[in-house]
Amino acid sequence: MSTPNRSFLAQNPSVLWFLGFLGLFTLLVTVFSEATGTGVISTSFVKTLGKILCLCLIAIAMDVVWGYCGILSLGHFAFFGIGGYAIGMWLMYARTEGIVADSLAAQAIPPTASELSDAVASQIFGVVGASEFPPIWAFAHSLPLQLLMVVLVPGLLALVFGWLAFRSRVTGVYLSILTQAMTLALSLWLFQNDSGLRGNNGLSGLQNIPGFEETPQALISIWFFWASAAALGLGYVLFAWVVSGKMGSVIRAIRDDEARVRFLGYHVESYKLFVFTLTAIVAGIAGALYYPQAGIINPAEIAPIASIYLAVWVAIGGRGRLYGAVLGTVFVTLASSWFTGGSAPDVNLGVYTIKWTDWWLVLLGVSFVAVTLFAPQGLGGLVDKLRRKA
Amino acid sequence: MSTLLELSGVSVSFDGFKAINNLSFQIGEPELRAIIGPNGAGKTTFMDIITGKTKPDEGRVIWGDKNISLLGLSESQIAREGVGRKFQKPTVFEAQTVRENLAMALKNPRGPFDVLFYKKTKRGAERVEAIAEQIGLTDSLTRLAGELSHGQKQWLEIGMLLAQEPRLLLVDEPAAGMTPAEREKTTEMLVEAAKTRAVVVVEHDMEFVRRLNCKVTVLNEGSVLAEGSIDHVTSDPQVIDVYLGR
Ligand SMILES: Nc1ncnc2c1ncn2[C@@H]1O[C@H](COP(=O)(O)OP(=O)(O)OP(=O)(O)O)[C@@H](O)[C@H]1O
Ligand SMILES: [Mg+2]
Repeated sequence: MSTPNRSFLAQNPSVLWFLGFLGLFTLLVTVFSEATGTGVISTSFVKTLGKILCLCLIAIAMDVVWGYCGILSLGHFAFFGIGGYAIGMWLMYARTEGIVADSLAAQAIPPTASELSDAVASQIFGVVGASEFPPIWAFAHSLPLQLLMVVLVPGLLALVFGWLAFRSRVTGVYLSILTQAMTLALSLWLFQNDSGLRGNNGLSGLQNIPGFEETPQALISIWFFWASAAALGLGYVLFAWVVSGKMGSVIRAIRDDEARVRFLGYHVESYKLFVFTLTAIVAGIAGALYYPQAGIINPAEIAPIASIYLAVWVAIGGRGRLYGAVLGTVFVTLASSWFTGGSAPDVNLGVYTIKWTDWWLVLLGVSFVAVTLFAPQGLGGLVDKLRRKA
Repeated sequence: MSTLLELSGVSVSFDGFKAINNLSFQIGEPELRAIIGPNGAGKTTFMDIITGKTKPDEGRVIWGDKNISLLGLSESQIAREGVGRKFQKPTVFEAQTVRENLAMALKNPRGPFDVLFYKKTKRGAERVEAIAEQIGLTDSLTRLAGELSHGQKQWLEIGMLLAQEPRLLLVDEPAAGMTPAEREKTTEMLVEAAKTRAVVVVEHDMEFVRRLNCKVTVLNEGSVLAEGSIDHVTSDPQVIDVYLGR
C-alpha cells in the first residue's frame, strides 16, 4: 500500500485525533506499568489492555467489511484464530525445542537432528497421543515463515471462500449463515485430536517467548502492548485511507445498492473480495498479537459466538465509522469484564436476586436489540452529535 | 447513422408467461428513440435484457462496430461497453453527496486497484462541474443526494449516465412524478444527449413523447406493434385499440 500523504491526514482530522488518543493512552500505560513505570498498572492488566487493542483492530476490520461494505461476516474471528494458531505454532515449537535440547545436552552422545525432532514432537503432541509432526507444522521451526502464514492463511482462505460466495451472488443473511458455517467447520475440525493442532488442548504457554526466557513477563507484556498499539494505529490509518476517497464511495454504494453499482460498470464481486480479504488479513494479524498476550489458544476461541460478539461490538459502537468500532469494543469488553468479574453488585429484587455473572449476557443481548432498534448510530452517533453541537 | 444495437428474435418468459415475444429492434448512433406501450408490455424487461440483468431464452443481441454479442457479458461488462441505464424508480446513492455520485460515475478505469489509488484530477473535477451545470445541480454539489427533490434525483441520475459517457443511454420513465417545468428541462437534456449518442426513452406521457420529436416504437405483449413518427403510430388503429383508446 502506498503511504498516505499529508493531504490525506489533513482531510481526515479524525485520524489524527485517534492517533493522538492512542499515543496518549500508550504513554500513560507505559508510565504506570510495572516494567517501565511506577507499577500502578499490574502486568496482567497491561496484558488485558493490550488484548483489548487487538480486539479493537479486528473490530475496525469488521466495521470496514460490514459497516462500510455491507457484508455481515460472522466469520472474521476464524481469521483472528488462524493468526493466533500460526504464531502459536512457532512459539510452542521453538520453546519446546529449547527445553528438549537442554535436557538432551546432558547425554554423552549428542542427539541427532531426527532424535531431537522426535523428542520435540512427542513433547508437543503427547496430549493427543501422537509423537510425530503433522504436515501443517512443516514451517513451525521458522519464525519468518510462520509470520508469513499469519498473513497468507487467513488471506487465502478469505480469497477462496469469498470468491466462491460472491461469484454466486450470495448476499445478506445467506452470506452471514455461510460465513458462520465456515467458522463452525473450522472450530469443529480444530477440536479433533488428529487435526494436528492438539485438539481441544489448543496451543499453550504462548506468553513465553523463545529467546527471552530470562526476560520478566512485565517487560514482555509492555512490548506486546506497544506492538498492539502500533498495529492498531497503522490499521486505523490504512482503513481510514481505504474508506476515504473513491474506494470508500464505491464500497458504500455497494452496501446501499449493489445492483446499481454494477450498471455503473463496477465489478462488484472484485470489490467485495478485496475488502473481505484485506480485512481477513488484518484480523489474522490482530490474532497473532492477541494470543501471545492471552497465553493460550484453543478451538473454543473460534466458536461461532465469538464472531457474533464482534458484530455486537461494532453495532453498539455504531457502524460505518471506525472510531465507533473502537468505542464499542472498549466499552463492551470493559463492561463485560466488570460484570462477569464479580465486581458488579448483585441487584436484590426481593423475590429474585440478579447475579450479573449470570445476567450479563442477557443485558448485552438486550442492549444490542435496543441499539439496533432505537439508536442505529450507536455510541459513535453520540460522538457525532456532540461534535456537531461543539 | 450506423446501427449500434440490434435485437433479433428475442424471447423471454417468466414462469411460462412470455414477457418478451420474438422481439426485434434496431437503433443507430446517434439517434433518439421513444418507446411507448401499455403497462406490462415488456418495456422494462427489454432494458433488462440489453443491460444483462435478464438473460433471454432465445434471440440475439448484437452491439457495436465489431458486432459482439451482449448475451455473454455481465452487467458491469455491458456497462463498460458503453450502455448506461436510468431506472424507473430513481436510484442514486442517497447517503453520498451529489459530487460523490457523479465522481463515481465518471468514465475512468473501474478495477478495485485503479479506484484505490485513484488521484483526483483537475480534468475530472471539471467534468463533474460541467455535468452539474447541465443538470442544474451546480449549487447542490456538496449536498447529500438523499436531500434532493424527486425531480432533482432524476436529473442526478441522468447526470451520472452522462458522466459514464455511454454510447447508448436507456432511460426508463424519466418524467414520472415531475412538474411540467421539470419535464420540459428533462426533454431538453435528452434531446441534447441524443445529438452525439443513441438514447432510448420509455415514457407513458404522450405530450412528453411528442416533444421529443423522434421515431416511436410501440411495444405490446412483448413485441413491436408499430413503429414510425408519432403521428403515424398514434393514428394506427391497433395502437389506438391497445394503448391510446383506453
Ligand atoms: N423478474 C420477473 N419475474 C416475473 N415476472 C416478471 C419479471 N419481470 C417482469 N415480469 C412480468 O413481465 C411483464 C412485463 O413487465 P415490464 O416490467 O417489462 O413491463 P413494462 O412495460 O415496463 O410496464 P410498466 O409500464 O408498468 O413499467 C409484466 O407482466 C411483469 O409482471
Ligand atoms: Mg416498466
